[in-house]
Order: sequence, then structure tokens, then C-alpha cells
Amino acid sequence: MDNLLNLFLIFLKVNLLSTSGPASVGLLYHEMVGKYVTEGQFVQAVGFSSVLPGSDALQLAMYLGYAVGGVPGGLIALLASILPPTVIILGVTVILHRLRREAWLSSFIEGLTPAISVLMLFTAWKIFEKGGSDGWEAWAIGLVSMAGMLSKRVPERILIVIAGVIGILFLS
Amino acid sequence: MNKPKLAVWSRLLWMFLKVNILSPSGPASIGLLYKEAVSKGLMTETQFVEAVGFSNVLPGSEALKLAMFVGFAAGGLPGVLTALLGAILPPTVMMLIVATILQRFQHSDWIGGFVAGMSPAVAALIAVVAWELFRATSSKKIDRRTILIAALSAAAFWFELPSPLVLLGAGLLGVLLYGRRSY
Repeated sequence: MDNLLNLFLIFLKVNLLSTSGPASVGLLYHEMVGKYVTEGQFVQAVGFSSVLPGSDALQLAMYLGYAVGGVPGGLIALLASILPPTVIILGVTVILHRLRREAWLSSFIEGLTPAISVLMLFTAWKIFEKGGSDGWEAWAIGLVSMAGMLSKRVPERILIVIAGVIGILFLS
Repeated sequence: MNKPKLAVWSRLLWMFLKVNILSPSGPASIGLLYKEAVSKGLMTETQFVEAVGFSNVLPGSEALKLAMFVGFAAGGLPGVLTALLGAILPPTVMMLIVATILQRFQHSDWIGGFVAGMSPAVAALIAVVAWELFRATSSKKIDRRTILIAALSAAAFWFELPSPLVLLGAGLLGVLLYGRRSY
């Protein structure tokens, strides 16, 4: 019960502090890895939520919630993730026109964005470092998939599945 | 909207289900949603652009907020709830199925290799998204203030300050540096 409550609060906090799905990865990593889930579970969560169709952020939340507390955990994580945007949207549609003139909000986000990017870079490095293999194979997989993602020619999810399969073949 | 309400809602629900099954991620759904919502006359181009803008600024998953804005424009409050339902149903069902299946294999040997192979690719994905996010800082070019905030937060994360505090601090710094400028 305590775990579920903590889970709810973590996802509430993360969703109030990030403006988009991908940006929540860095924060979630810091809040959860080591305390509630293992490194491996987190990588699985990020990997599968990018591979499956539909909102990454919600899938990531549900996978982590499920890992902590089964189906109830998954549903709690989902609820905590959709609550802040829903309440805000319902509020915003009412005061939409007033909020548009609040320049401080956009300045706040403008300051938040570079910090989130940096946090994500730190997270990416930690995931890479503790990924279970840090030999040349891991560097090769990482660099090739990064090149593929930057070129935009190959869908990200295909690259992630291929990387996983290479792992099964050569790294188990 | 002259059509019976039920028809509008079921059309909305179908549209959001379709968009969320077909698009791999939140940001990717914007293009699809645009085609569905604007070309079919559920909302105007201006409304859509405004919705995208607000979704980027407000906290929480952006795809979800965008869906709710479109829902609101097309069908008021019930439209918002319909959009929400259509947007969370596909990922929920899929994720629960995959999570259940994976849980069974958690102790198999191959899952270790799978994760080991996936880790570098996932790290690359996060780094690429971080770069895109950094470059896209609210439509403006990267200037000295952006770099200052990035450097300060890098230092803060390096010394392992609590990340929510660092993010809040960065936001407040943004308010100080960028001020209440009009846009």
C-alpha cells in the first residue's frame, strides 16, 4: 500500500515537472532506479515503450508501475500520469486567453528545457555504463543506432529491436 | 456542429484510437492528428497551432494534452473525455499484455542478453531526443543564456543535487534571464 502511494506521488511529481513524454525519462530514472526497479527493468521499460505504438510516456509509466506493483501498480502510474495534464487542460480551456499573456510561463519552460536535456544526457550515459556490457560491442551498437536515429531513415523502434536481438545472439 | 452528438463522439473516439495505434510515440502523433483533425474540419488550422503551442508549455505528456485540446475544440467537455479515453486505451492494453508476458521470462537467460543489447541503443535514443529537445528550445536559436543554464544544471547534476530541485531552479533562472517578454 505504501509502495503504491509512493508510486503515485513519484509519477505526479515527474509529470508536473516535465513538458513532454521523452523528457520524463531522466527524472524517472533518478526517482526510481535502485529504489524501486533495477537498471535492467528500466532499460526494458524505455525500450519497449519506444517499440510499441502509442504514447511512450504512458507506456513507460505503466511498465515501471507494473514492475513495482503488478497490475494495480501499472494503473496507479497511469492515473498519476494523466491527472496533471487533464486537470490543467480542463483549467486552461477556461482561462486560456488570460494565460496566453503570462510571459513568465514560457520563460520558465525556456529555462527548464536545457536542464532537462542535460539530465537526459546524464541518464543516457548511466544507462550505457551499467548496461551489462561495456566492451566494444556496446559502443558499436550505441554508435550505429545513434547514427541511424540521427539520419531519420530507419524508425527508432526497429533499431532498438535489432539491438536487442544482437544482444541475445552475442551478449548472453 | 449540427450532427447528433453521439456521432461526433464516436468519430472522435475512433480517430484517437486510430492515431494512437498508428503512431509510435507522442511527438509522432502530431502529424497524424493534424491530418485527421484539420482536414476533416474538426478544428481550424489556427486552433491546432495554438493547441500544439499550449501542449508544449504545460506540464505532463504533450500528446495527451494535444489530444484533449482537439477533443475540446470538437466536442466540448465530453470531447475532452473521449479524446482521453481514445489516447490511453491502446497503450494501456498493449503495455499490460507485454508486461505480463515479459514478467514470465524475467529469469530466462536470453532476457539478459536482450537487455544488454538494448541498453546502448536506448542510451543512444535518449541522447538523440535530448539533443533535439535542446536544439528546439522554444523556436529560438541557442543563445548564451541557454548554454549558461545547461552548464549550470550539468554542474548541479554532476554534484548529484536532487533532480526535481535542479529543474525547478532552471525554470526560475529562465524567468529571471528571459524575463516577462511578450511573444
